[in-house]
Amino acid sequence: MIKKNQPVIRKSWISIRKYLNILSICLTERMTYRNDFILSTIFRFLPVMTTILLWQAVYRSSGKESIAGFSQRQMIAYLLLIHISRMFSSMPGLANGIAHDIRNGTLKKYMIQPIDMIVFLLCYRCAHKITYITTSAIPYSFLFLICADNFDDFPDLTILLAYILSLLLGFLLGFYFEVCLGMIGFWMLEITSLLWIITTLNYFISGQMMPLNLLPEFWRTVLYILPFQYMAYFPAIVFLGKLSTNQIICGLLIEIGWALILFIIAQYTFYKGLKHYSAFGD
Amino acid sequence: MPQVSRYLTIYISFIKFSLITELSFKINFLIKIFVELLWLSILIIFYEILFSNTDNIAHWSREQYLFFIGCHYMLGGIIESLFLENCANFTELVRSGDLDTYLLKPIDEQFIITTKKIDWSTLPNIIQGIAIMIYALAVNPKWTFELTQFLMFVITFTCGLTITYSFLLMLCSTSVWIIRNQSMMELWWLFSTLMRYPKEIFNDSWAHSIGWFLTFVIPALIVINIPASTMIRKFLHPYSVLWMGICTGLFMFASRKLFKFALTSYRSASS
Repeated sequence: MIKKNQPVIRKSWISIRKYLNILSICLTERMTYRNDFILSTIFRFLPVMTTILLWQAVYRSSGKESIAGFSQRQMIAYLLLIHISRMFSSMPGLANGIAHDIRNGTLKKYMIQPIDMIVFLLCYRCAHKITYITTSAIPYSFLFLICADNFDDFPDLTILLAYILSLLLGFLLGFYFEVCLGMIGFWMLEITSLLWIITTLNYFISGQMMPLNLLPEFWRTVLYILPFQYMAYFPAIVFLGKLSTNQIICGLLIEIGWALILFIIAQYTFYKGLKHYSAFGD
Repeated sequence: MPQVSRYLTIYISFIKFSLITELSFKINFLIKIFVELLWLSILIIFYEILFSNTDNIAHWSREQYLFFIGCHYMLGGIIESLFLENCANFTELVRSGDLDTYLLKPIDEQFIITTKKIDWSTLPNIIQGIAIMIYALAVNPKWTFELTQFLMFVITFTCGLTITYSFLLMLCSTSVWIIRNQSMMELWWLFSTLMRYPKEIFNDSWAHSIGWFLTFVIPALIVINIPASTMIRKFLHPYSVLWMGICTGLFMFASRKLFKFALTSYRSASS
């Protein structure tokens, strides 16, 4: 029995090792530009500061203790936590890269090599995120340390685990969402304009600009069902302890559901797209 | 005068050529306009939500703040339509060595490099900005038209525009030494983001020094604040206007010098 399974185990190990190698190469590549990463992270701090100052001015002028259930401290904490959410879920250039490969014919490199394109891209993004998170850990820790007063007590272990899970699912959600968008490139040659619209809209409806609690009830319900809020808003409010255990479980289940749906759509459209693909170009 | 009319003729040709290029991709052009409208709508919804919770932000009322946004949108529209793409493309010219062809032409290098292409798709932003400003003035019951105030607005707005253009030119000049425009675009994005907030939000004790830095060292905060204050709040501090004038002169001079110096450091590097 063991002998019969040996080739299967060996084959699986070779496959895993192949993708681990890809991950390692991508890590080396990403680390080449680590200074650029640190510089970009520092540049992003100033807008965070101005947004915090704007909200402080709103609270001061309104004289209110709480707006949409958020105290001033919680609002600042939320704005900071959004950056952590986006650290996991944002996938700059992924959809455009896929569309570019389709348009220019360079996609055929995946067809003549024993590599699955989506798994390859997943490894590449993992490497990107590992590098990004480790290089920006120091400047972000510094920022969070300065703003530590705005956080209540550290969440308990259950909340913390739910938070980490929501961030990891946010990564998968962001990844498969962008892959699905990129797959449109099989049927539409130019998707840049479409991506602009989605990115602009996503910035608002994922809660990056402000907590979604400020929106009317109807829109909150609509956005609760859609996948966008799970890429920014949801992990942040989990950490802030704004949700009950049931709400967290429901949210995580919806997030898992969307990750699965987008995974299936990505695989299916890739399969269908390859049948449509004529490999013209370079 | 003949020089001015020569440059004007060339610029008109740039405008025509850019329009023909843009209209070759009509759908893309329309989508870009739609995205700009979408972004403006999002901004307005955001501020409407903020003002549903307070009657002023850092002493700016809803109408005054709306005027501020319109002013920012108009200035951003002018910069993006006329200069941004050209400046962003400068890195590519340096990297590919195509800058040679520009330098060989009997024309001012700064003029041709920073004005060659007009981005027509962002031009509607200027109209949107003006429309928002007019609306903000119309719904503001306390505001009345005064010619001197309007002229001061035009002057300070032009100064703000010149400072922004000069800052962009300085960033673009650094491409000769740093052949990677990612950082340049990040810095530009940062500058334009900082422009869109009232400087009164920096009155908090911990942010005071940052506000000072952004007023006196990198004057991002005065670009929109002074013209908008002049027009809608009728608040014109002589020292502010004087500082804006000094900044305009300094930035124009420094950016021109830096650009010229950058060109002397350029080594044609193409095949």
